[in-house]
Amino acid sequence: MIVQLLVTGIALGSMYGLVALGYHITWVTSRTMNFSQGHAVMAGAVVAFAFYVGLGWPLWAAVLATLVILAALGIGLERVAVRPFFRVASPAWLLSTIACGIIAENVAMLTFGKDARAFPSVLTQKPILVGGAGFYAQELLIPVVGLLLMGGVQLFYHRTGYGKQLKAVAYNPEAAGLMGIHIPRAVMCAYGLSALLAGIAGVLLAPVLNVAATMGTIIGLKAFAVAIIGGLNSAPGIMVAGLGYGLVESFVAGYLSTGAREIIGFALVILVLVVRPWGLLGSRPARRV
Amino acid sequence: MTWVAWGCLAAAAGSLPLFTANTYYLYVAASVGLLTIVTSGLNVLVGFTGQMSLGHAGFYAIGAYAAAVLTTRVGWSGWAAILVAILVAALVGAGVAGAALRVTGPYLAMVTIAFGIIVEGILVEWVSVTGGPGGIFNIPKPSLHAFYWVIMGGAAVSLWLVANLRRSAWGRAFLAVKGSDVAAESLGLSAYYVRIMAFTVSAGFAGAAGGLFALLNGYVSPDSFTLQTSILFLLALLFGGEGRVAGPVAGSIALTLLPEFLTSLADFRLILYGGLLMCSIYWLPTGVVGALTRRGDSDRDRDRDSDSDRDGNRDRDGDRDSGGTAPLLQVEKASLAFGGVAALSEVTLAVPARGIQAVIGPNGAGKTTLLNALSGFYVPDSGGIRLREVPVAGRPPYAIARLGVARTFQTAQVFGDLSVAENVAVGVAGPRLGSVVAALVGAPWTRAAEARLRRRALALLAEAGLTEWVERPADALPAGLRRRLEIVRALARKPRLLLLDEPAAGLAPAEIAELDAYLARLRDTGGPAVVLVEHHMDLVMAVSDHITVLDYGRVIASGTPEAVRTNPAVIEAYLGVSE
Repeated sequence: MIVQLLVTGIALGSMYGLVALGYHITWVTSRTMNFSQGHAVMAGAVVAFAFYVGLGWPLWAAVLATLVILAALGIGLERVAVRPFFRVASPAWLLSTIACGIIAENVAMLTFGKDARAFPSVLTQKPILVGGAGFYAQELLIPVVGLLLMGGVQLFYHRTGYGKQLKAVAYNPEAAGLMGIHIPRAVMCAYGLSALLAGIAGVLLAPVLNVAATMGTIIGLKAFAVAIIGGLNSAPGIMVAGLGYGLVESFVAGYLSTGAREIIGFALVILVLVVRPWGLLGSRPARRV
Repeated sequence: MTWVAWGCLAAAAGSLPLFTANTYYLYVAASVGLLTIVTSGLNVLVGFTGQMSLGHAGFYAIGAYAAAVLTTRVGWSGWAAILVAILVAALVGAGVAGAALRVTGPYLAMVTIAFGIIVEGILVEWVSVTGGPGGIFNIPKPSLHAFYWVIMGGAAVSLWLVANLRRSAWGRAFLAVKGSDVAAESLGLSAYYVRIMAFTVSAGFAGAAGGLFALLNGYVSPDSFTLQTSILFLLALLFGGEGRVAGPVAGSIALTLLPEFLTSLADFRLILYGGLLMCSIYWLPTGVVGALTRRGDSDRDRDRDSDSDRDGNRDRDGDRDSGGTAPLLQVEKASLAFGGVAALSEVTLAVPARGIQAVIGPNGAGKTTLLNALSGFYVPDSGGIRLREVPVAGRPPYAIARLGVARTFQTAQVFGDLSVAENVAVGVAGPRLGSVVAALVGAPWTRAAEARLRRRALALLAEAGLTEWVERPADALPAGLRRRLEIVRALARKPRLLLLDEPAAGLAPAEIAELDAYLARLRDTGGPAVVLVEHHMDLVMAVSDHITVLDYGRVIASGTPEAVRTNPAVIEAYLGVSE
């Protein structure tokens, strides 16, 4: 039982962390974020399903096409729902990204259908049994890919030239702009990358959870909770919080009930914010007078 | 014009049951009424105070379930149940706000979302009380015809309450916090407390609507209280026009009727909502009502009460210091560093209870940092600040303001959504806002207090030569007058100490001369002690009694204008001349 809960918790937690990293990436570059990040996860799963099952493409081609489409969706979202309200004090971007999300959900309902469907995968055909605990190979693949990607994103930011430029934008957009960094393009890239990560999470989760038009909201909310718990401006905080949240959730569901899972998970968010208002590893923004 | 529109609306709502016995129409109309009640309350939070909530379905649910449980299990009457529903929702709202409003932006959105999900989860899980996923049935249901009147009455009362609130000291405090929480704190308002009150009021309204919803339907179940419901509330408010009393009505009508007309498009409902939200963000930033009423006419017909009766303004606070030799403000070796850069190092300064003390120095010398430390926005790393021997370093800005310290800001911070007169009224009232319930119902004594506040504000504005601007929104003022308004607003607190941060910046020479005369008059007529941070040397030399010179966060000279003018260290700091 414990092994099973651990595997599930780490698998889901790493995905929450990966999706939450998407919030972090756009937040630090533009002080905005896609509040419908969960719908990007859904889009990733649905689009992959359409290519793989619907059109019968080979898996690698379906996944590649999905990732290209997701990055394009992210860039499109930035253009339509964020750029017009960039750095405006009003939270218009918050509402406009929510609007895009519910439109996307409706489109998925109309095209994909209202019912949940299973995503066939060789890795979920028969469970691996370890001392009475059963889990799928996919659940082992998920955290490996998830953690590798998180590490990759960190490397990109700290080691590559363009990553450093993006970090400079995060640190001080005005100065970065004066140094010749094209800020709108940086924000665009951030949104593309953010949606891409969500899409990967969608593809990875599709075989474990079922694919459904309505799957996005709750994943997005949990990932948001993770981003907030970890601290929006702290990537390491988010990774830790993601795994922690996944484990807490898995164990609460295992030992209490699945109903208590959401209540306890989100109560934890409020608790963390009461104790540490800017997240576990986040830092308080300087007060401007 | 506005009254005609309200009259038509009331007539339409009132005559509907006469024309149709079709219960479907009455039910839809009643739904408009419920949504109006919720969004009116939400308007206080979002429109007035500028905070966001994505969890108000939670308060709606609390109201609905409170009413359902009390009427079915305890056997209470509907009226009593709704009263309790309001109280419970407001109480929970205050608690949630206490946790939520310590944070802002996405963090606040998260707390409200989390609250909504927790409530939804509890409704499903706590089967013994809430009936679980199936909800509570057999709620004693009054006849739809009779209840239609109750809900429409409730909606009308909600609008009236919010209109009263907007005209009260609380309403101004909400808009002040939205406009500039920093300036609001400098006038003695705790932005945190004011926001909590707005949140509590809005939760109470949602609770009332929830209670009515339970009685209208005769059953409640968790499906009605999801995140989507919270988003719908927000959408209705924004589409109608946030910050305007009539906005919720327009938004509620549109958002309730549109899906009813388009039932054939039920599959496209989310696209419709999403599209509507996008449209209103793009093209109707002030909502339908905002687009229809151009700012400045209908919004400004309040406060037409004449100033005929003059009972002498007797509101006494801010005991002016009458002489005494001890300094009013004493700064002792205050140091403050930002990331290793010393902005203030061991600054020692004494401000007497009378006169004008200037603080000058090159750019980046730490002048504004010093003012921010004096007014509580920054806390010194070491050293002490004492006001009349009371240590104030580390106290929040509003607490220091309440001790009689007022200030202005380098970029004038006026409350843009408030009129010029209301801006000053915020200063006159300070932290004394009275009871929020009295403000909601427009109690006679609050109206009397309002009249006094307004007279005092108008008198102060007349003194400052701003009479022709009193009814204009403050952000319509030219830059020079904004600064003057800011000073008038700060003085309205009757402070013991006034901190002015570059009041002459950006002013034309004629305006600087006026400012010069104004400051001199202030000093000669027994005004507060002034700490003046300024670059215009002519002004500084003309009005100051004492000058302190800062350079790299240190006091390099201090003395009378003549002494400072000839001080070699000062000349070197300013001109870079070395021997």
